[in-house]
Amino acid sequence: MGVDVQQVVDHNGVQTDQLIVNMGPHHPSTHGVFRMVMELDGETITKLEPVMGYLHRNHEKIGERNTFLHNIPFTDRLDYLSSMGNNHGYVLAVEQLLALGARYDPPTYRAEVLRVLMVELNRIVNHLWALGFWLNDLGAFFTPVLYFTQERERILDLFEATAGSRMMCNYMRFGGVFADLPERIHSVSNLINDRVRDFDTMKFLTEMINERIPRTIDELDEYLTQNDIVLARSKGVGYISREDAIDYSTAGPVLRGSGVAYDVRRADPYSIYPELDFDVAVQQEGDMYSRYMVRLIELRESLRILKQLLPRLEYTKGEPVNENNAQYSSKVPIGEAYGRVENGKGELGFYVVSAGDKRAAANPWRYHVRAPSFINLTPLGLMCEGNKVADAVAILGSIDIVLGETDR
Amino acid sequence: MWITFRHFMQTYVDDVRYGFRKYAPDMNNFEVRQGVDAQGAFTVQYPDEKLAMPERFRFVPFLVVEDYDHEERPGKDWCTSCGICAKVCPPQCIWIVRSNDPETGRPVPEPEAFFIDIDICMNCGFCAEFCPFDAIKMDHDYELASYDRTTNHIFDKEKLSKEFRYWKTIAPTRAIEEAEARGGWEHKDAQKAARRGGSARTSRTNQDTGRAEKREAVASREAVAEAPASATSAEDEKAKRREAALQRKAARAAKTETAESAPSEAEGQQPWNDSEDEKAKRREAALRRKAARAAKRADDSE
Repeated sequence: MGVDVQQVVDHNGVQTDQLIVNMGPHHPSTHGVFRMVMELDGETITKLEPVMGYLHRNHEKIGERNTFLHNIPFTDRLDYLSSMGNNHGYVLAVEQLLALGARYDPPTYRAEVLRVLMVELNRIVNHLWALGFWLNDLGAFFTPVLYFTQERERILDLFEATAGSRMMCNYMRFGGVFADLPERIHSVSNLINDRVRDFDTMKFLTEMINERIPRTIDELDEYLTQNDIVLARSKGVGYISREDAIDYSTAGPVLRGSGVAYDVRRADPYSIYPELDFDVAVQQEGDMYSRYMVRLIELRESLRILKQLLPRLEYTKGEPVNENNAQYSSKVPIGEAYGRVENGKGELGFYVVSAGDKRAAANPWRYHVRAPSFINLTPLGLMCEGNKVADAVAILGSIDIVLGETDR
Repeated sequence: MWITFRHFMQTYVDDVRYGFRKYAPDMNNFEVRQGVDAQGAFTVQYPDEKLAMPERFRFVPFLVVEDYDHEERPGKDWCTSCGICAKVCPPQCIWIVRSNDPETGRPVPEPEAFFIDIDICMNCGFCAEFCPFDAIKMDHDYELASYDRTTNHIFDKEKLSKEFRYWKTIAPTRAIEEAEARGGWEHKDAQKAARRGGSARTSRTNQDTGRAEKREAVASREAVAEAPASATSAEDEKAKRREAALQRKAARAAKTETAESAPSEAEGQQPWNDSEDEKAKRREAALRRKAARAAKRADDSE
């Protein structure tokens, strides 16, 4: 960036300096290791360049070394706040290939219901986290995050009891899921305080979906939607027009906040979404506030989906969730597939090519991740132009990135 | 603003209810504060208070060995060193050395050395999921920090081995499910040997004991579920729990003692410490069994 830092600009008698400010790579507000090079005129941003790659972990190349099965736990580490969605996308891609003629049973209905249940719970977790940290960037220091985290803990408890881990769930398998829901959330084993959170899983889930999460979302709505500070800081800031949002191929809340009703669950339905009743959240303004509203509406839509899943869970009780598929090396037929899901951040796609190499038929020949965080970051410079430095942080928060997925 | 105030007040009222004895080692207090109906936000005071982990919680794997007081095979590895876990491990952190019979040079179904680099392990649970012998399981022990960077975190067989009994304590329901899938509490190979008449215990009795144990476990779970959490029986409950905890503690202490003392006791019984005649006896028995098998095959084919 060629900036003459000696130059002094005169704005109606107020003299401003031109300077370059380098935010990052470990500035606390960048949600990880992310760098922004800003060209300032006084306090106004005239140009901004996002610089990524500080958390590059060679994910795609490692994916080519691994067998297909090995990649499932590696996908957890992409967007580490919504590992269930990552697993789902990858598993869908490989299942398309397996359906070409491998020894494989497609998932049973209960497995599909469990998958959607976990993915929607994970969407709630992701949005609560995203909104909490966006408010943190606006200056509501950690109070909203604390209240959202309380609810998030309950959901993570369920993940831990079902999949064995709170965040790196590793729950989906080709043709099913790892295991059915446990009968009770906590075991009665070797700790004195085991009775603290020991209850029936279905009761826990029902209570959570019908009472606890709605209460939290109502609280958040009442607390923040009409809050003067939130309105003043976010209305009209970080604007991106509908055409630009499409041109930059953004997805998720960034795109839907600009008035494009595009949701992969509608545009390219997968799993059991065609039979579920939900709306696509759209807001027209294209600023930070409308992205906030999109997330709020999506939380409610996820709850609607979850309420429809409860009876399905009841009547599919006892169905197997992963039968005849427990092979430790699945030979995948030759072909290419692209599996995509609507994750919390946007459209997450996995492009997998199986070349059927004689020496290593179990490895993908090419494995590519279409990471929504990465692609949503590209219009950041456009959104920040003309805003103040303090807004740049909030705009980054409203895009909702996770650096594990951005840099891969 | 009012919501923040409400949260604050709930926490404060709860504090008053306990008379600010937040850190008193009173388990009942902990249960109420961290329970389902808790009002307000509270911190778990970690080293003193620990939240329990669910059964499926997975941390670095451990190897299942037979109980040290088992009648026939004390302390024998369940692992047959087939190598599936090393194959299926995504970060490739399992290293197995297969053992050979020093005399015949033929492979013996038990690992000579077994290493897991737990710094590389990503706790995915695939090894436990795909092990055909239920010989490797995911542990619950998450307190593994150490001051050493290099050697301490490469676990060898001695460090990884834990009794089958331990697995039954940390994951009772899963242990029962697996035993049902195996057809008894014993290792698959032991069951095969039993079916061949090599042992007094048959798999049928095993199944029966398994069922009985399952019934007991279910009954105890029901009892736990039905246990009233009302204030009247809270005192009895507390007393009962304390007693149970003390019993468990005593049992744990006893177990660690046996675990420490058992290998030294069992050292004399290890197959490699046998005298020459015993080895010869074993060889003869093996040859007899082989001949019997061959005869049986011949019968079948006729």
